[in-house]
Order: sequence, then C-alpha cells, then structure tokens
Amino acid sequence: MFDKALSYGLVWGFPVCETVDESQRWILSVMQKHGQELVTMLWRILGNDQDVCDAYQSTFLHLAHCQSGQKPRHVKAYIFRTASNVAVSMLRRRLVERKGLSAAIAGGSSGKAVPSVDAVQDTFPSPANEFDSKYLQDILRCYIARLPEHLRDVITLHDLAELRYAQVGSILGISAATARVYRCKAIQLLAVWMSKERQE
Amino acid sequence: MTTTSTNVYKETSFASGTQSPGPNKCRQIRSRLLRLVGSSLRLDAGWAQKHIADCPRCQLRIIGVGKVEMALSLVKSQRHHLDLLMRANVQAVGVLKHSLREAPKAERLKQALPEPTLSEGLSKYKHSAANVAACFAILVLMKIGVFSSMDKFQSRGQEVFRQYYAMYIGQDLADEIFKA
Repeated sequence: MFDKALSYGLVWGFPVCETVDESQRWILSVMQKHGQELVTMLWRILGNDQDVCDAYQSTFLHLAHCQSGQKPRHVKAYIFRTASNVAVSMLRRRLVERKGLSAAIAGGSSGKAVPSVDAVQDTFPSPANEFDSKYLQDILRCYIARLPEHLRDVITLHDLAELRYAQVGSILGISAATARVYRCKAIQLLAVWMSKERQE
Repeated sequence: MTTTSTNVYKETSFASGTQSPGPNKCRQIRSRLLRLVGSSLRLDAGWAQKHIADCPRCQLRIIGVGKVEMALSLVKSQRHHLDLLMRANVQAVGVLKHSLREAPKAERLKQALPEPTLSEGLSKYKHSAANVAACFAILVLMKIGVFSSMDKFQSRGQEVFRQYYAMYIGQDLADEIFKA
C-alpha cells in the first residue's frame, strides 16, 4: 500500500512523507461528507477496487496540498473535478498499458479482444460481445476517456456521479442548460463511436 | 439588435397605450411553446417513425444512442463492494499527518460503510406505503358509496311510504305527514 502511495505521490509531485498540517482537520470532514459519492463515481469510471482507492487517495492528496493547505472555497467542486481528472488519467494509462499488452499477445497468439479503444478497433466484436455487459461497460469507459474535457466532465458528473444539472453547472462554472447541451453532445459523440465500433 | 427591437417594442407599447406583459405571461407562452414543440418532435411521432423505418443512417444513430444508454445503465447498476469506502478511507487517511490519522474522526472513517440514500432507505417502505394508500382509497370509496346508497335508500323508502299513505288516507294527509 505504501509503495503504491509513494508511486502516486511521485506521479503527482507530492512527497508522501510530507505531512499535512494539523489545522487541516477539515479534510476529514470533507472525506466524511463526500467520500461515499466520490467512491461511487470513481468506481463507475474505473471499475476496479484498487484503482478507486488510488484515485481517492490522490484526490485527497491534491486537496491537502491545494493553496498551501488552505481549504478551497468550493470544496465539493474541487474534489469532484480532481477525482474525475485523476480517474480519467488513470483510465488512459491503463488503456495504454492494455494496448501494449494486447499488441504483445497479438504478436504471440490470437487472444480475446482487450477492451482498449485501439484494441477494440483492431478486432471484430462478435454478436455475443454486443450484449456482453462487461464488454459494453469497458468500451463505454474507453470512449468516455476519449471525450473532450468539457463533455467528459458533464458525463462523469451527471451520469456517473448522478448529480443534478444545476449541481453540475455550479461545479463546472456553466449554466444548467449548457450542461444539458454538453451532455446531449457527449451522448451523440459516444453513440457515433459505438456505432462505428459496431460496424467494424 | 435585441436592444433595438426591445426599444421598438417599448415605443410601440407606449404609443398604443398598452403595458408590457408581465414575466408570468412570458413564462406561460414559453412553456406552451415548449409543450407544442415537444409534442410534435417526439421520437415516437408518426412522421419520425416513418422516416426511421426507411433511413439506415438514423437507425444506426438510434441504435448507437440506445447502446450508450444501456452501457450507462449497466455501469450504474454495478455495485461496488461494501468495504470499498472503508478501504479507500484507510488508504487516504494513511498518507495524512500522524495526528490526523489518530483523530477519532479518522478512526470512524476507517470503519465507515456506505449509508443508503434517502430514496434507497425509503424504497423498502414503498410497497407498504402503496398498500396503505390502496386500502385508504378503498375505504374512502366504500364510505362514499355506502353513504350515497344510504341516502338513496332513505329517499326511496320515504317515497314508497308517501305513495302508500296517499293511496289509503289521501294525498293531502300524506303531504302533511311527510312535510313535517
């Protein structure tokens, strides 16, 4: 666990051994208040227990080191956006790793399609895959990671964190109507990609 | 452009002596327009269905949207392990300062389990609430039905007795009795 924390600490440029000031007890309150929602959102983005724990830890490390340890004005907005960004970065990294792995497997033998975007595009999904729950979830996660940031934020906050449009708007600094438009665009884009994937 | 048109509108309103409509009127018109547009632009409208039936591109689009919605529902329906929050808290608290790690709140966080939301908590009472509501509705209906039947029964009975008395003792006496 410490090794993992150390690695993420180095990734995000925070020395883990650097301790947090005692006046930061508010972090524990934030964790208590929003922890459950964050874990649910991270689980839906990542779909893996260990990744969720790592992303959660990174989010609170960011929070602890934000503005020299001062409490941000909009804590909820800060942690949700940070958690979403951290999770998507991890997802992308995982996809790259899987792509490398699938390339290695393809070099050796013809294995089952690994659900990274490129790996999926290289393979022809069978009709059974079309209705495979795990496959659909993985492919959706891949495509969500590919979305432009402004669209992805709305999808993750509205659909995966199940926040209302007004809340999403206030977190992202946009109006609720704009959030609706972005969500609609994101769904259209995802639909196009998923249809293309089906055709291939 | 908008300012100009607003000014023109104001000038015309003042010239004609009419007052500008209030925000409520605007809201009503907006909601009526939205309703009208919504009713004519529904996906299950006849003209839309007819087009979709003949257009492979639209079919593909709809299939894609359906697939995205299905995948989103699947992602949302997958529950994480009950102890995931606890493990995440343990890992996150583990990198905080020793004094924070040892705080009573941190200890509670390390043992935190997901709490059901209000809607989830109430969902187990949904069935009972529906039953109670149904029973209440039946009682109300029965009460209304029984009382209205009683009234009807009483008025019919009175009518029968009135006819009986009218037949045997005369209409005048019967009217006098039943008037009282």
